[in-house]
Amino acid sequence: MNDAALPDEEIGEPDEPLVIDGSSGEGGGQILRSSLALSLVTGKPFRIERIRSKRSRPGLLRQHLTAVRAATEIGLATVTGDSLGSTELSFAPTTIEPGDYHFSIGTAGSTTLVLQTILPPLLRAGKPSRVVIEGGTHNASAPPFEFISKSFLPVLRQMGVTIEATLVRPGFYPAGGGRIEVTLEPLEELRPIRLVDRGEIVNKRVRAVISQLSPNIGHREVDLLKRQFSLPRSAVGVEVVESTGPGNVAFIELECEHVTEVFTGFGMVGKPAESVAREALRGARRYLKSSAPVGEYLTDQLLIPFAMAGSGEYMATTVSPHTETNIDVIQRFLDVEIEVDRAGQHGNRFTFRRSNSEETS
Amino acid sequence: MDKKTVIVAVLGSQLDQGRGDGRWARWRPTVAICQHEDMIVDRLELAVQAEYTELAEIVVDDIRAVSPETEIRVHVLEQEDPWDFEEVYAGFHEWSATMDLDPGRDDVLVSITTGTHVAQICLFLLTESRHLPGRLLQCSPPRKRVPNALGELSIIDLDLSRYDRIASRFVREQEQGLEFLKSGIQTKSDSFNNLIERIEQVAVRSRDPMLLTGPTGAGKSQLARRVYELKIARHQIAGKFVEINCATIRGDAAMSALFGHVSGAFTGAARDRAGLLRAADGGVLFLDEIGELGLDEQAMLLRAIEEKRFLPVGSDNEEASDFQLIAGTNLDLNLAVRCGEFREDLLARINLWTFRLLSLAERREDIEPNVDYELDQFARRTGRRLSFNREARDHFLQFAARRSSTWNGNFRDLNAAIVRMGTLASGGRVGATEVREEITRLRDSWSGGQPVAGDTVAVLATVLSAEEIDELDRFDRSQLADVIRVCQANGSLSAAGRELFSVSRLRKRSSNDADRLRKYLARFGLDWSRVHPAGP
Repeated sequence: MNDAALPDEEIGEPDEPLVIDGSSGEGGGQILRSSLALSLVTGKPFRIERIRSKRSRPGLLRQHLTAVRAATEIGLATVTGDSLGSTELSFAPTTIEPGDYHFSIGTAGSTTLVLQTILPPLLRAGKPSRVVIEGGTHNASAPPFEFISKSFLPVLRQMGVTIEATLVRPGFYPAGGGRIEVTLEPLEELRPIRLVDRGEIVNKRVRAVISQLSPNIGHREVDLLKRQFSLPRSAVGVEVVESTGPGNVAFIELECEHVTEVFTGFGMVGKPAESVAREALRGARRYLKSSAPVGEYLTDQLLIPFAMAGSGEYMATTVSPHTETNIDVIQRFLDVEIEVDRAGQHGNRFTFRRSNSEETS
Repeated sequence: MDKKTVIVAVLGSQLDQGRGDGRWARWRPTVAICQHEDMIVDRLELAVQAEYTELAEIVVDDIRAVSPETEIRVHVLEQEDPWDFEEVYAGFHEWSATMDLDPGRDDVLVSITTGTHVAQICLFLLTESRHLPGRLLQCSPPRKRVPNALGELSIIDLDLSRYDRIASRFVREQEQGLEFLKSGIQTKSDSFNNLIERIEQVAVRSRDPMLLTGPTGAGKSQLARRVYELKIARHQIAGKFVEINCATIRGDAAMSALFGHVSGAFTGAARDRAGLLRAADGGVLFLDEIGELGLDEQAMLLRAIEEKRFLPVGSDNEEASDFQLIAGTNLDLNLAVRCGEFREDLLARINLWTFRLLSLAERREDIEPNVDYELDQFARRTGRRLSFNREARDHFLQFAARRSSTWNGNFRDLNAAIVRMGTLASGGRVGATEVREEITRLRDSWSGGQPVAGDTVAVLATVLSAEEIDELDRFDRSQLADVIRVCQANGSLSAAGRELFSVSRLRKRSSNDADRLRKYLARFGLDWSRVHPAGP
């Protein structure tokens, strides 16, 4: 075991586990993933109860277990209740172990959701890590790889993180078979930043990705988007990729001065190319209506890094119920106050402050 | 530790088909099983016909991609004819032995969606016989228009008791069976009701011999008939109910009555006679008082039970009959075996399911419902509705429940009492007079009641241990039994002596009957206190 692997806060006497309610809101899976990530970051054990208890199939699903297993490996954790259908799970990490990881998760779990779970702790792991995750990379119920690499990771880099992510091979639902590789350097503390202004849009790009389907589908998608945004030919592209099974996604990438946002439409059997394109378009239009830099999905992704940094601020286009439950979970683990001011003209202001522990002592 | 999910499946040459890119849009049951969000397949045991190994490679690769958690073991079936039941079954049977399935460790699900119908039938049979210790897995295709859908999985447990709705049906059916066995009498005695519950289970599930013991009149014959009728109602048998009291066919006639004879077998055997065993073919043979059967007949009967074959008297040709035996006895057959009166091997054979019926005195709480039942029976037989007036009924029931009412003849006594009162009652109404008279009649019959002659062993057993009885000569047995009987009926040694020596004492001037009796008992190591029930 690596001695450099201890998180910042020394793990003292065994804490009473935090008890998290897994039934609240829509974010059963999100609550679990955030709890796993933050438990690893802080060393605090937790117990999550009533996992997805309001759902028709309550308890843990396969995709949740893939995250639990990955977190267990990273944190050499003791786990109980990690079985399908389980509505209660206890997780007690002993460390954060940096290193070379390989997770093979099939199509049931999304590679990006697993990455989301283990990335925060690996940033504190003392030594560099390399992570290979095989499975689905483009799945309608998870952030697609391009969103992670083009939108989320650049913000992390602004916060001081050294990280590279490569899509070796895409994996579409249902065949899967995708592969992503991530290398990262740990750091002492994330640098607090302000992200309140998107600046000018410097670039608009439109791209369709196609596997084992007619490239014509991709052309129809980018044609529609090109017309909507009056883009030059150089800003559009259709990419035919190698993958285990058929698949198709359409992207709109809005590169602004201070942030990049990615909007995606997912292809599906029986769904016309134009509908796929319009799905991406709807996301982009919603974003463009506001002047805030951080879109709906990035809002959620940035919560944990900003909270880890202890302070910072960003403006978001949307506050979803998802976001609110996530904030509650984060504040259970970290001494941070997250304030959401919805009154602003230019979006919703998220402010992060370290809780003043001296006040209470 | 959670169990590992092990899927046993046959590659579907049609349903799992698909080579090109389009295969991912198709529903392929065996692939889909490994894709569900709420199931992780830890191991897949996949049988593949030799000609489809190429298809198997595609399916296996695809499953590896979607479910890296799954270990896949391919078993190639060398089948000449996949529609030949015997061959397919043998192949699967062999395959099942190679899987190393442990129901304590593995949750085995046998997929019956793919494969030929013959394969599906074989998998079902292997699961049902627990060669594949698991449950059946049924995959149904996705509803139309839902792309990439996985369809539904449903698990079928062949242990039907796990299904509430089916189980409640069984309970209802069982309750009907119990009701039936009790002739609709709402009995309250727990021990009797438990006994009937057991008998119902055995009656429905088994064709092995049944032995009903208990005092005469406890209802053995009636219960045997109800067991038969229950089996008929459940379509388990189709033959007749044949009943005989072995005490009535002692001697030469017994052989011929039971096993039949051919004409000319003996004087008077003018025509062939089929015999009772033949008559009971496919049905139930109730042999009451089986302890009274001679040793020769016992030997023949044993063979008839075990091999379903027997030799009619005077015949060289064996007859066959497949009957279920229900035997009744009020003797302790174990004791009879020790005394050489009953074959040990026959007892062992019929002793599999032994049920002791309680005497009426042991289940007094059932007297009232049985009175009502007898009233109904009386009405049914005579066409006259019969009822008690309130006071008379209470009086009779109080009397019936008293400890001093010994009900020696058990239900036969109760039946007789109701018949007598019903016959004497005017206007179909039993009044105080009829009841009073009947009570007197019953008391009289019970006070004269002594153990029935012929129960030698039973009487000896009240005083001696089985080993001690074994030591006795037959010569001594009946004499000693009679002496014990008299002792038990008298209040003192002298009184018993007077009764025993009542003839010879007349010829003597002085007599010491008590001393004679004491000395006689001493020969067997007995004394008054051991013999007399009131002794210390």
